[in-house]
Amino acid sequence: MFRTDVERVRSVTNADGDVVGKVARVTGSIAPGRVGEVMIAVRGGSEAFHAYAADPAVTIDRGTRVLVVEYFPPRTVVVSPY
Amino acid sequence: MLEFLGVIVLVALVVVLVPILLFRMMWRVAEPNEALVISGLHERKPEGVGESLGFKIITGKGTMVMPGVQMVRRLSLDLRETELQIDCVTQQGIPLKVRGVVIYKVGDDYASIANAARRFLDQQNQMDQRVHNLFAGHLRAIVGNMTVEEMIRDREKLTSLTREHAGTEMEKLGLIVDSMQIQEIVDPTGYIENLARPHAVAVLREARIAQAAADQVATQKEQEAEALKAQARRDSAIKQAGYQAEIDQASAVSKQAGPLSEATARQKVVVEETKVAELEAQRAEQQLQVEVRKPADAKAYERITLAKADRDSQISAAEAAAQRVKLEAIAAAEQTKIIGEAEAHATRAKGLAEGEAVKAKGLAEADSIKARAEALAEHQEAVIGQQLAEQWPAIVEAAAKPFGSIDQLIVLNGAEGISEALAQAVSQGAAGLQVARKLLSRQPENGRNGTSRRKGARQAAEEAISES
Repeated sequence: MFRTDVERVRSVTNADGDVVGKVARVTGSIAPGRVGEVMIAVRGGSEAFHAYAADPAVTIDRGTRVLVVEYFPPRTVVVSPY
Repeated sequence: MLEFLGVIVLVALVVVLVPILLFRMMWRVAEPNEALVISGLHERKPEGVGESLGFKIITGKGTMVMPGVQMVRRLSLDLRETELQIDCVTQQGIPLKVRGVVIYKVGDDYASIANAARRFLDQQNQMDQRVHNLFAGHLRAIVGNMTVEEMIRDREKLTSLTREHAGTEMEKLGLIVDSMQIQEIVDPTGYIENLARPHAVAVLREARIAQAAADQVATQKEQEAEALKAQARRDSAIKQAGYQAEIDQASAVSKQAGPLSEATARQKVVVEETKVAELEAQRAEQQLQVEVRKPADAKAYERITLAKADRDSQISAAEAAAQRVKLEAIAAAEQTKIIGEAEAHATRAKGLAEGEAVKAKGLAEADSIKARAEALAEHQEAVIGQQLAEQWPAIVEAAAKPFGSIDQLIVLNGAEGISEALAQAVSQGAAGLQVARKLLSRQPENGRNGTSRRKGARQAAEEAISES
């Protein structure tokens, strides 16, 4: 009730881990037919998300840096090699 | 006045305290590990959840809640864990008892919180049970996709499979799996133990080999050391013996020094005595020379001189005799020579005379034989008969010689037998043949001087004699 409209807009956009566009780190290898895992810095901490590759044929090893291109709530992202 | 003042103070206190109390009642704070789920009056869309079911989610800050109008519930975002103990079968069909633990929590994003709130808000205590039931099936599927070796070693695959199998399903519940651990694998068939056995046995083998090798080396070194010690002992003993021998020798020498010096002294004494004896012997010899030899020499010289004189005189006599004999012999030889020469002359003259006589006689006889041979050539039969008649007594005598040694002769065929035997004896006996030859050899000149015809006649005569 005390917030300005600008604050509200920012709050909404930032609200639930707007992870698209962030750089993430692969902690479980992403391969065709398998679910990978990436760690993304979000909400002041870092959280693990299930990850698929944007190109389904690509295999991404652990430790690779990737770019989050899409976010499926609650815990799934699509990444492509950075 | 005092009461009035008291009322004023009370009112003032109430005026101050009531808003504080009201604020305190309405202001709720979400702690870092929880989310406030506020439902009820709301005049705007809740943050982050566009089309929500109409409740508001607050995390990490405070908010005003209208008591009686709005309901506030707290959802813990703490870490939770549930233990799993299941019987399952691996990819290779090996039965195992697996004990694991799943660590999970409510997701931090609003979507997860909303999902979880709708499912577990009144059943937060039963969340572990629900997850346990859910995960038992998932763990069975996960183990069924792995081998025992992978379960032991391949954590990456375990987490990946956990994510694939359970992660998405847990998302539906608004939960995230932080970790799943397999704490214990009970293996009734002994598979893991057997898996380890070759390595354990190999390690044991290596250990035993190493131990044996070390033992061997140690024993070798010990034995070498023993040998060296023995060698050192031997060398020491040899040296000790050598020194002992030297000591013994020295002591023996020192012991013998007394007797040796005594002997040396005695030896010198003996040498001196020997010299004395030699001198005495020389003296005796010289005495002997003086007493015996010189007189003997003198006597011998005397005798030798006498004998020489005697011999010289005898030689002179013998020489004189020899000279006389020689002269006598020469004289006799001269005499004999002269006599011999005279006799030789006489003999030669006599021989010559006899030779002349024989020669004359021979010539005369040759003439007679010549004449007789000529006559024989003309009258063979007569001559042979004459000759045989002349010589018959000699022939018969020769022929009878073999019979002379016979005592008694028995003739089986009468007088003819005797004459036949005699004829055979004459013809066969060697003596008879020799006689005949002797007879014929008395006229050698006949054959030699005669012609070939005469010679043939003589051969015929010989044959006739031998045949008869």
